[in-house]
Amino acid sequence: MNRIDDDLTCYDALELIEPFVDGDLEGAEAARLRSHLAGCHACAAELALAERIQRELRALPQLDCPPEIVERVRREGAQVLPFRSPVRPRGAGLPFRIAAAAALLALALWGGALFIRSQQRPRQPSAAEVARATQEARYALAYLGKVSRQASFDVRDDVLARRVVLPAAQSVSHTIGLSLDAAPEKPAPARDEQH
Amino acid sequence: MLTAFDDTAHRYRGRVYSFARYLLSNREEAEDVTQEVLLRLWRHQDGVEEERLGSWLLRVTRNACYDLLRRRRSDATQPGMAASLDDEAAQEPASAEPDPQAQAEAADFRRRLLSALDELGEPYKSIIILREVQGLAHREIGEALGIPEVTVRVHLHRGRKKLREQLREANP
Repeated sequence: MNRIDDDLTCYDALELIEPFVDGDLEGAEAARLRSHLAGCHACAAELALAERIQRELRALPQLDCPPEIVERVRREGAQVLPFRSPVRPRGAGLPFRIAAAAALLALALWGGALFIRSQQRPRQPSAAEVARATQEARYALAYLGKVSRQASFDVRDDVLARRVVLPAAQSVSHTIGLSLDAAPEKPAPARDEQH
Repeated sequence: MLTAFDDTAHRYRGRVYSFARYLLSNREEAEDVTQEVLLRLWRHQDGVEEERLGSWLLRVTRNACYDLLRRRRSDATQPGMAASLDDEAAQEPASAEPDPQAQAEAADFRRRLLSALDELGEPYKSIIILREVQGLAHREIGEALGIPEVTVRVHLHRGRKKLREQLREANP
């Protein structure tokens, strides 16, 4: 066994060869191994063998399945039950349900607010107010549609709250002139603390 | 509903078959395992999530191969069931070298490599096949075999080191 003055024994070097071939060695460690290999023909030959093994393994052919196997499975399987596509992940329906609940809540708030307003004030809302509220509701519904289409992706509750519930609630509150603090905000410092 | 099965089978049958073929080194057994795995997919279609289908199929394939290898070991009298070289893989051209002597040397190296791979224990053999032959990512292998990614790397390095030692001993 060789020992070069780079502190790496052949035993150590042989342990590092496979990680080196995969590029898993850190820079300093790889440099030490390279330094060892430069002066040790036995370890250099091991590296060449390791690289060749990897090359040969990667060149092995992908062996293809005879088509009659699939045909046989199809015949046999069809006698038992029809085949359906694999199911989607169990959590995939959750964002849709959350979005649907949020939209229902927003619409209920909007409808309720209009009702309260009609009870409080005899006059009808102005055309501009109705247009603005309608626009906000459309925005909420459009976003709901987008979320529904992407229901297989992970949609966080806070995103739904920020993008659907809050705009609708704010629109409602603006329409009826009430203050609905749907989201807790960072409290502003008291005036006497600023001085 | 046949189209859905065709689509799924088309995507995964090669991976399943090739994995089984290299694990078992036997064509008929690999075909049997592939058929069994695809039938199991058909029967368990409601319990398999699409995202995990690939790793599920590989895990089922490996378990089916293990069962077969165990039966093979306990039935040692069965002729032709001893670990045998996979002829089709060995006969694929191993080198594009024009020199006949270099070609012969490359073919001999591949035969010895396949023989060493055949004798390699688990989980090294599965991991080497999945990583080096099938080109799966460490993460995918970890999911298929139910082990952490870092363990996949460690086993991969150990497995290839064992191959290296066997090939060195065979031709010092």
